[in-house]
Amino acid sequence: MSADPERVALDDRVLAWMREPEWKRDDARFDALARDLFAHQFARCTPYRRFCEGRGRTPEGIQSWRDIPAVPTGAFKEVALRSFPAEREVHVFRSSGTATEKRGEAHLDTLALYEASLLPSFRRGVLPDLAPGARTRVRVLAPPPAEVPDSSLSHMFGCVLAAFGDAASGFDVRGGELEIASLLAAIEDAAADGEAVALCGTAFAFVHTIDAIGARGARLALPPGSRAMETGGFKGRSRELPRDALYAAIEHTFGIPPERIVNQYGMCELGSQFYDSVLAEPGAPRRKIAPPWTRVRIVDPETGDDAAAGAVGAIHVYDLANTGSVLAIQTADLGRTIGDGFEVLGREPGAEARGCSIAADAMLAP
Amino acid sequence: MSRAAVEAALARLRDARRRLREVPASEVHEALARTLDAWSAPGSPLQKELAAALPAPTGFSPAVVREGLARGLAPYTGRALLDLVRDELGGDPDWDGFDVTATVLAGAIPLPAFVAIVAPLALRSPVLVKPAKHDPVTAALLARSLPALLAGCVEVVDFRRDDTEALDALCRAPCVAAMGSDAAVAALAARVGPAQRFAGSGHRFSLALLGPEAMRGEALARAADGLALDVALWDQLGCLSPVSVHAIGDARGVDRVAETLAVALSDIESRLPRGRIEPAIAAAISSARAEAEMRAATGGGVAVLASSGTQWTVVRERDAALRVTPLHRFVRVHPAADVDAALAAIAPRSRSLAGVALDGFGTATAALADRLLALGASRVCAPGTLQTPPLAWPRDGEPVLRRLARRAVE
Repeated sequence: MSADPERVALDDRVLAWMREPEWKRDDARFDALARDLFAHQFARCTPYRRFCEGRGRTPEGIQSWRDIPAVPTGAFKEVALRSFPAEREVHVFRSSGTATEKRGEAHLDTLALYEASLLPSFRRGVLPDLAPGARTRVRVLAPPPAEVPDSSLSHMFGCVLAAFGDAASGFDVRGGELEIASLLAAIEDAAADGEAVALCGTAFAFVHTIDAIGARGARLALPPGSRAMETGGFKGRSRELPRDALYAAIEHTFGIPPERIVNQYGMCELGSQFYDSVLAEPGAPRRKIAPPWTRVRIVDPETGDDAAAGAVGAIHVYDLANTGSVLAIQTADLGRTIGDGFEVLGREPGAEARGCSIAADAMLAP
Repeated sequence: MSRAAVEAALARLRDARRRLREVPASEVHEALARTLDAWSAPGSPLQKELAAALPAPTGFSPAVVREGLARGLAPYTGRALLDLVRDELGGDPDWDGFDVTATVLAGAIPLPAFVAIVAPLALRSPVLVKPAKHDPVTAALLARSLPALLAGCVEVVDFRRDDTEALDALCRAPCVAAMGSDAAVAALAARVGPAQRFAGSGHRFSLALLGPEAMRGEALARAADGLALDVALWDQLGCLSPVSVHAIGDARGVDRVAETLAVALSDIESRLPRGRIEPAIAAAISSARAEAEMRAATGGGVAVLASSGTQWTVVRERDAALRVTPLHRFVRVHPAADVDAALAAIAPRSRSLAGVALDGFGTATAALADRLLALGASRVCAPGTLQTPPLAWPRDGEPVLRRLARRAVE
């Protein structure tokens, strides 16, 4: 934990909010905390202060949290954005990418906020029916944190297993390989016990798993109450499936219907995650719900103002869990608002070295 | 449905080929030359018709379409075609086209369609065209403008790219030419058999090199105006649109290049406004600007000069290393200590290099042009002329006609 008294006080305020049993949206509370945190980060993160000054924004000059300048996720590949002394760093999460690709880095002096944020969000999004203190079967299609300590997702799954997993829960990717036999055995045990399973992993890991099970000619029916949580894209690591096709394949292979499949939106630059509402609010339109200590703006990239309701814009996230870096993040994702939540629609083009529009044309096809 | 349409079109084109083979090649060339003269003439009604139709599907502003067509088609004269035939085929009657050439177009810029259709016809090879998603207009209008001699020699059949049955049918043409991303071209190549001809044109980019003599005063203003035109035409979406400028000189000189180019891009926006863009593109520009602002905040000479909206952006970079740009009038200006440093920075991507605008090197210009051509560039020219290549421009370093031809006596 940071020794900076101002930071300790900020962390305590944010942690107190995260630990409240009920999620209550409180705009005044968020605004006050966000502005205090912005002032803290403005004072302590020199590149961010200069970035803000370049835009004419200072803690004294802003009217609300909406005026806090958002840092693009691409900047995390270029600049170490710490609002604490480098010598206090305890952990680094990195974005996924190839060996030759620059990866974004989130520098942390504490994991307390990350962990305090992820658990209530996961519980509400994926396990809303889990009784207090109860545990359930969780199988994870991702490597354990010990194998990839810089993966925020694996760290998250490690925390989820520790908090909510029963004795038969565990990881099914080890040494970079899907352990299909152990997964199938775990699922058979769950079926024998009548124990619902929460099957969690990256989208590409689901595809690999589905393909592996299909190659064995198997088709599983997980016990009633089972659910799936998938996250991330494919990034060339498996054949790519549109979300509808992925969900149809999950239903076909595991017997989990789409209304029990939750997409999680998260990234290493954010301390918080966002889950589809399908399990937390069954019957309501599928949308991502923001935890109370976060705000999501859908921004018109031409003007920087909020996009019209339902219009496509850039997703900007304001996350109070980011006390050690910067709280306002301009993601590379596009989305639109749906009621009190939002929907992620895709990513900005430009991840590849482009020089002419034919690449864009191919991307936009058919 | 689409597969049947493609197969029927191929059958009609094979019939057309039988008719066309009976016509002397010189008559075909003369007919094509007259067609090109009709298109390239100042005030051409055909140009006007195309210019009226293109802004809606492509998103380009009407002014950009008018200017781009006028400048781009000006070199596509009948004389240029006859010279091309002479230079590449040399009157050798053994050069022949394939029974049918299928061509897959991509992008929103109309000019590649002209070469893609005229070149096979000059070889008496009828053409099956799959138009680009964003330009459903040009191929059909060009086909309609052909003289009676070439009637029925161009068929335009559109279908979704994920219609694999139609794509497979198209790829059964004896010669397949395709433009697109490297991945799209490779995917098409994989559908073409070893006994067929495949001519693929993948990803390309262009840039500019400014030497000491073009980095101040009137010379800099002229170079910047020329580069702004090269960027503004087709909204920087062409293979010949410069995405970056390497300025060879001291830091202050590089600053001046960035500042002068920003002024030129601002000025040209009023005359040739950028077209509409998708929110995804606007978001990418916004992110790229913000990312550069953050690097600027760490010092070291990075600066962002930009319009209030996303219309144009100049990022003054701190080093020579190429970076991805979101296009749509987004230019990076890189410092380079000398020519060797600039070429070393370009070299890793030279495989995709198309054009280089060159200015300010005085008597060293010709030697530098030779080095750039050796590096992989297929066009080296002055700022302001990148977007007006001759009909004979070897886009991929290959001859325009012979890449689609075979020797009849083989």
